Amino acid sequence: MDVVELFRTATMAIRTNKTRSFLTALGIIIGVGSVILLVSIGTGLQSFVTKEFESLGSNVLYISPGRVSFTGGPPQNVEAKFDFDDVRRIGEMGSPITDASGMISRGVTVKYRNKSFYGSIAGVNEKYMDYGNVKIGKGRFFNKNAVERSQMVVVIGHKVYKELFGLGREAIGKEIDIAGIQVTVIGVLEEKGGGFGGAADDNSYVLMPVTAAMKVTGIKKPAAVMVRTESPEATALAAKKIKDYFYRKDLTDDDFTVMEPKELLSSINSFLGVITGALSGIAAISLVVGGIGIANIMFVSVTERTREIGLRKAVGATYKDILTQFLLEAILLSVLGGFIGILIGSGLSLLMKNFIETAVTPGSVMLSFGISCAVGVISGLAPALRAAKLDPIVALRWE
Amino acid sequence: MAKSQNIPVIEFVEVDKEYGNPNEGGQVVEALSDATFKVHRGEFVAITGPSGSGKSTLLHLIGLLDRPSRGKVYVDGTEIGQLKDNELASLRNRKLGFVFQQFNLLAKTPAIRNVELPLVYQGISAKDRYERAKKELEAVGLGDRLGNKPSQLSGGQQQRVAIARALVTNPSLLLADEPTGNLDTKSGIEIMKLFEDLHHKGVTMILVTHNPEIALQADRQIVIRDGKIEKDVKNGRS
Repeated sequence: MDVVELFRTATMAIRTNKTRSFLTALGIIIGVGSVILLVSIGTGLQSFVTKEFESLGSNVLYISPGRVSFTGGPPQNVEAKFDFDDVRRIGEMGSPITDASGMISRGVTVKYRNKSFYGSIAGVNEKYMDYGNVKIGKGRFFNKNAVERSQMVVVIGHKVYKELFGLGREAIGKEIDIAGIQVTVIGVLEEKGGGFGGAADDNSYVLMPVTAAMKVTGIKKPAAVMVRTESPEATALAAKKIKDYFYRKDLTDDDFTVMEPKELLSSINSFLGVITGALSGIAAISLVVGGIGIANIMFVSVTERTREIGLRKAVGATYKDILTQFLLEAILLSVLGGFIGILIGSGLSLLMKNFIETAVTPGSVMLSFGISCAVGVISGLAPALRAAKLDPIVALRWE
Repeated sequence: MAKSQNIPVIEFVEVDKEYGNPNEGGQVVEALSDATFKVHRGEFVAITGPSGSGKSTLLHLIGLLDRPSRGKVYVDGTEIGQLKDNELASLRNRKLGFVFQQFNLLAKTPAIRNVELPLVYQGISAKDRYERAKKELEAVGLGDRLGNKPSQLSGGQQQRVAIARALVTNPSLLLADEPTGNLDTKSGIEIMKLFEDLHHKGVTMILVTHNPEIALQADRQIVIRDGKIEKDVKNGRS
């Protein structure tokens, strides 16, 4: 029996019972659809997280005072046991570290004329922009000269600008008041999209040369240190060098934490992977149910068509011919369900893209396709074997 | 065509058929015993006998749907005892054409596709299948009914489709089991007329029936009773 004829026979059986075929395939449709959708949400979430982290720069390390646990967040008001000299030395360690910049931060009230805003002052150096977390919208960022001379200049976040000045108003060159000290606005940051965690906080920042910020706030110790390395691969080595430096100074793991975004990212991603896998596994249960549905209806079909099978055998169909015919029918039914499921799952995923990031990957599509093929084979095998084993004499006599 | 005319289309040599397995404690029923006969090319043989006589058993053995318990069955000189199921299927496909009392057409399938079916299992191309099936349907007078499904045809027409299906492979033997049993008298007569025409064209036929009138239309009658061949006679034709 040639392939074309096989397909013709199998599709004909499916087409003659359209409603029944559709209802049978429904289990697979729902199963594959939900697997596709859930995997696409999981993948989307992973790529969102990855992008967020990459915007921090994958070759950047963070040093935080005290012990930081990922669950509890950074401890507040821990006085660092290291100072800006240590930061400078770390920055000058050489390969693979290219530079280190310490920053301080504290909540402050900033005032302009009769308006005030409670934001965060962040003392950073001129390299802050290189870390790529924020962009200048108007004006300019301060330079090395300003840091060295502790110039009283600030670059304000978008929200600070909006609250103090109002959209569309000129802010560059204006003086604002921080803790009674007059500082000059030289730049405004671009608005940062809200989203995950602290990203929105950048809009409430008042960035200042770190030296000037120390004067304004009275803080002497860095609140965080950003260290850059030559390449993303070198972060582990750099982290080790930094730890060794602190250990030599008799600091313990309770006194500082070196964070590698890469490491954090991979643990978040593997966590998301597990969640996605678990959800898909639950969704896949409906694939099993769908497979049972197919097996059930195939048994019914074999019984209904006993005479047909007897006739086919009488006119020369072999065991293999009958087996293939019914197996292919089950596979087509399942693959048809899988195909519709992929379309529906992808459609829903596209729809959800309006709200959260989703991504239907070729991998999940191919996997779904493979699974529906497998479900077809597994659920079609027993009915097809029963059909192939039918004795033509008995089958022809069947009423 | 090189085949010698002397080789019988069907030859039974001391064939027994038993049902039931004594090893499983079942009772053994001897459905056919010591059947020996030959059917030559061009013959039109009627097998008759009351129900339960072993007619159906004989039919199944001739139709290669079953194997003998003892003895030998030859089809066109090939002994079937040693053949595998697949080889039997292939032999059925090439050598035999079946016509059943119940027609056994595929429902919801056009006449032409029903006739093509045996050719499908020969792996013949769709185009050739169509041509041959069309020719066969025209020969039985249904050239204008190619696309009709069985439900759109009368009983007589359905049986014609079945006959066309049986003949489409140019079989050595046409095997008909009570072909008129499900038809009204008029259609039955028409079908018998068709068989007669086929006989005159040289088609070898075995017709199983319990109807003596129909049996008389064949030129030889094998009467079977209690599992034994009781009579094997030429019909005197008037």
